[in-house]
Amino acid sequence: MPLGDGCRLKKQKLVSTLRRLASEPTYAAYTAAANALEAITPEESGLPPLRVAILRNFTLDTMIPVIKGEIALSGSYPMIYLGDYDSIARDALTPDSALYASQPDFVIIAQWLENLTPSLVARFLSLGPTQVHDEVERVLTETDAMVASLRRHSNAPILVNNFPLPTYTTLGILDAQSEDYQTHAILRLNLELLRRARQWPDVYLVDYMGLMARVGSAQGMDDRYWHIGQAPIGNRAVVPLGQEYAKFFRALKGNTRKCLVLDCDNILWGGVVGEESLSGIKLGTSYPGSCYRAFQQEILNLHDRGVILALCSKNNEADVLEVFRDHQDMVLRETHFATWQVNWGDKVTNLTRIAKDLNIGLDSLVFVDDSQFECDLVREQLPQVAVLQLSTDPSTFRAKLSAGAYFDALVFSAEDRERNRMYRDDAQRRNLIESSSSLSEYLAKLEMVACIGLADELTIPRVSQLTQKTNQFNLTTRRYGEAEIRTLLQNPEAAVFYLKLSDRTGNLGIVGVAIMRYSEKLAEIDTLLLSCRVIGRGAEDALLAHILASAKARGCTSVRGRYLLTKKNMQVASFYAQRGFRLVAESAVGSDWEISLDQEAYPAPAWIQINLTYQEIGYAS
Amino acid sequence: MQANEEQLKQVLADVLDLEPSAIGETASVDTIEQWDSLKHLNLVLALEERFGVTLTEEQTVQILSYRLIKIALEEQGVRFDDHKV
Repeated sequence: MPLGDGCRLKKQKLVSTLRRLASEPTYAAYTAAANALEAITPEESGLPPLRVAILRNFTLDTMIPVIKGEIALSGSYPMIYLGDYDSIARDALTPDSALYASQPDFVIIAQWLENLTPSLVARFLSLGPTQVHDEVERVLTETDAMVASLRRHSNAPILVNNFPLPTYTTLGILDAQSEDYQTHAILRLNLELLRRARQWPDVYLVDYMGLMARVGSAQGMDDRYWHIGQAPIGNRAVVPLGQEYAKFFRALKGNTRKCLVLDCDNILWGGVVGEESLSGIKLGTSYPGSCYRAFQQEILNLHDRGVILALCSKNNEADVLEVFRDHQDMVLRETHFATWQVNWGDKVTNLTRIAKDLNIGLDSLVFVDDSQFECDLVREQLPQVAVLQLSTDPSTFRAKLSAGAYFDALVFSAEDRERNRMYRDDAQRRNLIESSSSLSEYLAKLEMVACIGLADELTIPRVSQLTQKTNQFNLTTRRYGEAEIRTLLQNPEAAVFYLKLSDRTGNLGIVGVAIMRYSEKLAEIDTLLLSCRVIGRGAEDALLAHILASAKARGCTSVRGRYLLTKKNMQVASFYAQRGFRLVAESAVGSDWEISLDQEAYPAPAWIQINLTYQEIGYAS
Repeated sequence: MQANEEQLKQVLADVLDLEPSAIGETASVDTIEQWDSLKHLNLVLALEERFGVTLTEEQTVQILSYRLIKIALEEQGVRFDDHKV
């Protein structure tokens, strides 16, 4: 259907409201974006839909424009199923409910404690210790039953909230003096809620308690609307709460950032090193140098959880290196950075170089600078890059970086801890490539060993994480939560393979995933992906050779592969064509390919040693 | 800095999906079809955020027209006598 003028106008309006929302995330701007979305169909918007089901026992309608705006900002079209007031159990426990018919990508269970157990909240002193225990237990059991049913009937990640502490307790200062009183009863409830949630795959806790502490519960909870319309979330908390949910959507949909790019002068230390020299810059244990030190510590925390660090600053490289090497109060050292561009070139070029060096997209970068000019330039020229301008009050830098929640993730894997070391290893590999006369010589020098295995409990989190984070070398870009992977493992008609790679410079961990679905004679490659760090070494061919051979061993006669076009996976558009697959169908969104297994086995690259870490039944070696 | 008058119109326009210019002195629940009870909740929230005030319970239910909103905001200390830019 050709786009009419009406449609173009609606699209323009959506784009302009979203642009405004990105620069000033006020509630009014969220409602404007929600209205613009309302006016346009998902097809007209051209955005892929993201379906969120919200089950609730209180009124949270005011938060929905925030959720919608955030989803649209992340590049999807929000489709919200809002369950009826206080009908969570009905929706969750009935397999043919409207909830399940809506096929949600996410399910939110939003519960307000006072509606679950009025006595525990409003008449705590009417309960004896046993009754308190019973009330807590009842809330937990009921919640768990709903989660169990949801998990049985849907693979969507489930977001359950814990409970804010009361702003004022009946017992006042006495309340904090005993574990048996209200505050600790609710804290125990929250702790136990977490323990039970952890029993289920892809069930996550949304920290209402922490959020109310951040906003201030006196501001965050509003008795006016609690009494008028059972809407307890105060106006100061509506936007932060909607944003909190959106962090989960982003983390689980692979929309989080990967790399923090830092300016040096007046960001990592106070003053300009080129002017004031090593001893003149402000950095140390007393104010204001202590602010920069604290900021560096937070950056190091991010490094330790797997965020890639890079420098992009206009300085003489020698000046900067001197600070990193010789300043005794530096927390960050050269080795913490995967790459840097310290020169007098423009920052747009330098940021592009950094992304290219690390083989990640510009939309994976967060750029931190103190200069209005640089920040505006990057916003204008590279709108994909997230820009954080930190110019005044260095004591606030740390909080401002944390508040951005750019790197929020729901997995912390062994690969994350090791990431920066791996990127440094990559730099060594680049040196190796420079000293090799040909690519094949280089690849042979790497002494690669690939372990191919079937996903299991231990590897599910990383496999799921790769499906959610990998954008470039990903043939179908299908995102799978841990629960969905687990379901696949139980399906005899499916197989989930992972590929682990190591070489002479280090262990790269799990970097490839292939998901297969089998029918009688046909095997289908549902997912084939490779971490961007190992593209161009032949690991993809090792994995492909293996899945073809194992399909043949199962008795399949042909294998079908699919390419689904996204903004980022152009580089694999002709992946199957280059490997002898025959085109069977083609459309605007992608193409289908097939290869017959009658012919000789597809060759694995000679320079990779392949070890299988599992026994395959009927596998003819 | 936008004049308060214009900010008020912008908030109404955002929430009720109108152009700011379409909001006149006589705008009210009776003249704007989409101003329903849910939009009214959104409106109170957006107004409180934009002007940094907390309306009284009575005000939140009374402000059903452009004029009444202005009066309530003035009672909360928001000034509307500034000149338009």
